[in-house]
Amino acid sequence: MKQVAALGLGSGLIRLLGVTTVLAGLVVFLSAASTQSFRWDLPAWVPPPVVPADNPMTREKVALGRHLFYDVRLSATESMACASCHLQEHAFTERSAVSTGVTGESGLRNAMSLANVAYLPTLTWAHPQMERLEVQALIPLFGDHPVEMGMAGKESLLFARLKADPVYRRLFEAAFPEETRSGESSLYSVRTITQALASFQRTLLSFDSPYDRYKYGQQTQALSASAQRGESLFFGEKLECYHCHGGLNFTDNLRHSRMPIAERGFHNTGLYNTDGRGSYPPGHHGLAEFTGQPADMGRFRTPTLRNIALTAPYMHDGSIPDLASVIRRHYAVAGRATADRGADQVNPLRSPFIQGFEISDAEVTDLVAFLESLTDHGFVNNPALGNPWPQDHRRARSAP
Amino acid sequence: MIPFNLHHAFRAALGVWLVLGLGVAAPASAQNIHLRFAVEINGTAFTCGGSYALGSASEKVIPTDLRLYVSEFEAIRRDGQPVPIRLVQDQTWQVDQVALLDFEDGQGPCSNGTKEMNTTVRGDLPAGDYQGLRFTIGVPFALNHADPTLAPAPLNNTAMFWNWQGGYKFIRFDTPGFPLHLGSTQCASPSRTSKPSGPCVSPNRIEVRLETFDLRNDTVVLDFGRILRTTDVRSNTPKTQPGCMSFPGDADCIGVMQAMGLAYDGQAPSGPQQLVQRRVGRLTQ
Repeated sequence: MKQVAALGLGSGLIRLLGVTTVLAGLVVFLSAASTQSFRWDLPAWVPPPVVPADNPMTREKVALGRHLFYDVRLSATESMACASCHLQEHAFTERSAVSTGVTGESGLRNAMSLANVAYLPTLTWAHPQMERLEVQALIPLFGDHPVEMGMAGKESLLFARLKADPVYRRLFEAAFPEETRSGESSLYSVRTITQALASFQRTLLSFDSPYDRYKYGQQTQALSASAQRGESLFFGEKLECYHCHGGLNFTDNLRHSRMPIAERGFHNTGLYNTDGRGSYPPGHHGLAEFTGQPADMGRFRTPTLRNIALTAPYMHDGSIPDLASVIRRHYAVAGRATADRGADQVNPLRSPFIQGFEISDAEVTDLVAFLESLTDHGFVNNPALGNPWPQDHRRARSAP
Repeated sequence: MIPFNLHHAFRAALGVWLVLGLGVAAPASAQNIHLRFAVEINGTAFTCGGSYALGSASEKVIPTDLRLYVSEFEAIRRDGQPVPIRLVQDQTWQVDQVALLDFEDGQGPCSNGTKEMNTTVRGDLPAGDYQGLRFTIGVPFALNHADPTLAPAPLNNTAMFWNWQGGYKFIRFDTPGFPLHLGSTQCASPSRTSKPSGPCVSPNRIEVRLETFDLRNDTVVLDFGRILRTTDVRSNTPKTQPGCMSFPGDADCIGVMQAMGLAYDGQAPSGPQQLVQRRVGRLTQ
């Protein structure tokens, strides 16, 4: 104690730096010790994500989760896996405007990208209380409005299917040793399945696009002149894109290990205005569906723009086919409602940043070039994130 | 690797700073400072969900966000000498000489915000006879243009990002249709995600000097109604940014920038800032 006090009183910069080095070493050592079994595959500049204390990352849980993610046995008809709507080559989205479940019923939402989903404080398009991947996984598995994978009430069937496969026996026992000791009803449970799925999804990390190499990797050649002009437009006050699509994941919804307080953003972009007072069509009320607040009509969570060139069609309902149309026929005209219904039909509830702008064809080209520079080809081609099942594994292959 | 190590070094340095600065090493004569801030709109306390008459037309508005950065705190001794107040480095609301004040609670119309609020600034200064307070609304130039995606809290708050070139939003006061964002403008830099090569033409930091201020008992009150008194918040001048975003050439900015005591569009400030006042004693809110 005396020593510390002496240090403090004579706290010269050199001494401070000396202590800093020792402490920094200690911090690195401790964090290395505590994550021995799992290492984030992240560039040095990216802060690691926050992981719930009750579901720490392990390689074994990730391996199990990856097998589950790509397995059609998780759906009632054994025809649909998580990966059926979240395809790696499309940054874990799909080409359809909205997803279709095992009964053929169409949903109302475009499958969201799972890239960097570990950095999101709230999940899905507009559910303010959906904060954990472990809970979110219940919706596609067991939800019946709409039916997606159709497993509502069929948990025992699901557990029996998994238990019957020796591959899963090994994976479950490795991932959940404590539950293994407690017995089969603990080991094969909704809890272990959702924890493993969440762990795998937290490894879907995408921070190695040409733009990242240009911005953080000092590779000045990684970005074309056109994309650099597009960057300027994107971060400029004419288009105002970055107010909502800012930060390291290009969304104003962000949490990570260096952020003590998460940030959330839900916005009405003026996509619809069915009654002249700002309404969205039934089933598309966004945040208002959960809060009951009229002012929350049409507000949806800002999606990441990483890999956006691979995730067409766009918007919460997949109603715009390509990026140029999103710029020209939606944002440039202060929301598509005006393109559909006339300039006087601008949505009064839209974000104040959606004011419309004049944009030339060359500028659209530049902005699209910038958005394309956010595509992380290593991510969409990373075999470690792909289907782990051998082609001939009985009934395990996923639909895509 | 460099930014990562730097970050650890920074955290460790903060740890040392906390231990030495607040614990054992603080001089026996140092006094802890706990400055209280409050926000009003034309004299009425601000809360999320409240409706306030705002602007030249007394339009009833329900604000959706209210946060601001304050920095460079100094107590003014009775002999007129300014003495720096050293801020507690809590790594949440305060870092270096900067603090984020957050008056929104994430509820109702403020749902894009955070439930956590911060209405005080905490630090310490040597014992002495102080009679006044000065501080800056804004982020100092040296910290303002770093990469906000990599900065420590509270400088990594996405809601306060502007861009590297312009720095942070110093003030974010949003009402539907009329956001007020104060920040530095006309900062020459190679790109919008590069630091400016020199000072910005319009730094837009507000220097606040309260000649008489009891550090223990008084409250700093910011009244956003007062600075928007001559502005019509019902409409936005066509072909300009929504509300006032501090950029030159926006008629919606003239009144509010003047009321904040800032030069705007080549015009010298018309008078002292009208945003901040001293309130004697604690507010009972």
